Amino acid sequence: MFNLIKIEWLKLKNYRTFWVLGILYLVSVFAAGYIGYSVEERTLEQSKELRMIAGTSFSFPDIWQSVSWLSSLLVFMPALLIITFVTNEFVFKTHRQNIIDGWSRSQFINVKIVLVVILSIIATLMVAITSVLIGFLGSRQFSWEGSMYILYFFILALSYNSVALLFSVLLKRTGLALGLFLAYAYFLENLIGNLLDWKIDAKPGAYLPLNSTDNLIPFPFVKNVTKQILRDPNYTLLLSFAAVYLFCYLFFSVKKFKTDDL
Amino acid sequence: MPILSVENISKNYGTIQALKNVSFEVPKGSVFGILGPNGSGKTTLLGIVMDVLKATSGNYKLFDETPSQKHRQQIGTLLETPNFYHYLSAVNNLKIAAGIKEKGLADIDSVLEKVNLLQRKHSKFSTFSLGMKQRLAIASCLLGDPEVMVFDEPTNGLDPVGIAEIRELIKRLHKEGKTIIMASHLLDEVEKVCTHVAVLQKGKLITHGHVDEILVNEDIAEISASDNTQLLSIIEHYPGATSVKKHDQHIELNFASGTTSLESINRFCFEKGIILNHMRLRKKSLEAKFFELTKNN
Repeated sequence: MFNLIKIEWLKLKNYRTFWVLGILYLVSVFAAGYIGYSVEERTLEQSKELRMIAGTSFSFPDIWQSVSWLSSLLVFMPALLIITFVTNEFVFKTHRQNIIDGWSRSQFINVKIVLVVILSIIATLMVAITSVLIGFLGSRQFSWEGSMYILYFFILALSYNSVALLFSVLLKRTGLALGLFLAYAYFLENLIGNLLDWKIDAKPGAYLPLNSTDNLIPFPFVKNVTKQILRDPNYTLLLSFAAVYLFCYLFFSVKKFKTDDL
Repeated sequence: MPILSVENISKNYGTIQALKNVSFEVPKGSVFGILGPNGSGKTTLLGIVMDVLKATSGNYKLFDETPSQKHRQQIGTLLETPNFYHYLSAVNNLKIAAGIKEKGLADIDSVLEKVNLLQRKHSKFSTFSLGMKQRLAIASCLLGDPEVMVFDEPTNGLDPVGIAEIRELIKRLHKEGKTIIMASHLLDEVEKVCTHVAVLQKGKLITHGHVDEILVNEDIAEISASDNTQLLSIIEHYPGATSVKKHDQHIELNFASGTTSLESINRFCFEKGIILNHMRLRKKSLEAKFFELTKNN
């Protein structure tokens, strides 16, 4: 497997989009955290009452959740990277050449899954590092409490990135995969979710594929207000759904690549 | 030991049958041409052998074993088009190919040298002309000095000098004892470099075997006299002629290559009291041969 990863790295390291999107993501995560922190500081300076009602979101322990939630808005960047990188193989027909030159079909798709996992880990590490740094700006006391959100963020990133892989393998064309991915992730699923919630009393919208991981990290700000409206998510159920979906994304990506004409 | 044996392979694309029960063997050390017009199934066949397409039925063996990735690593293959990462340089593309084939990187400069691309090794693939792309693909096939190579339309996009170079290269590889499988729609290309040939048409294997047996050259003698009907009656059983046919303006006699003597024909007719007013010897064109092979199917 190490050899396969080395070859993927050869493909990636000279790919400009990889560096542009990757660095943009890393900078954006930190910037989002820092901007959130600055805005909150400035707002709360003005009145003590507001501080009482809103509470602070950018100090330990809430910082984990705040940065994770903000970063979840940016998670499309590594997903776009995966889509362009994987559809490139189809556009250049190098997916065929890799097989012709002696990779098995499983090796080709497995190393892409490994790449998805590695990118998700890197994306998550950046969230963790940002949480710690900004957390120290906002508070003196480090706390592990709430760091569970980092794990939830990892599951969320892994899920988005795996959907990106699935869309790439199914659609093969960059524009099509990008367009449909963004449309689905940011519009269609919410639309379907709202429709379902409206029609069905059990409110199943939260358990749609990407929603099930979005909802792992609830809206973190003005908690004193929101906790009166929003119920705590059912983590067991959300995580079970997320696991099943994740299995399906990867299973169908592998199945499609292994059985199709390339 | 056959390098490749194909057994009853069929392939359907929806209702279209791209290959129909194709079977043949490629002997070791041969230059095996797969000949056929566009759309006859040559690339489909090679795609199946390289596991990028799935056969509908039938199977194949590489090196007389159940095919696996290990076998593909031992074969240098150019299938259909040169497939490389557009944003990478020639040398970085070859590093990837060498990595997948599990060959060392030491070969890269020498294979680039062989196809005259060494000076452009650091240029991006996207800046290459069609002919350069094709040459890079051939360089990639040569990585690790494989015993077997598969070339699908190897002279595609090359200029006449490039075409001659590739043919020389194939002949040299053959002399070194390599086995080469080559698909082509160019008859004279197959005739010039191949030892064996399989002819495909609309997915059916029409014939296969030694190139001398399949692409036998024939001489054609064209003759005519004032009364061609009379001429036909006396010349019909001319000794040595493989066939005699009457056309509008003349009569055609076919002979095995190099056995025709216009002089003897002339004497034969003259002795029978017929004076010829037209005589011409021509070679049967390979295209005509190819049409003949494929017309009955």
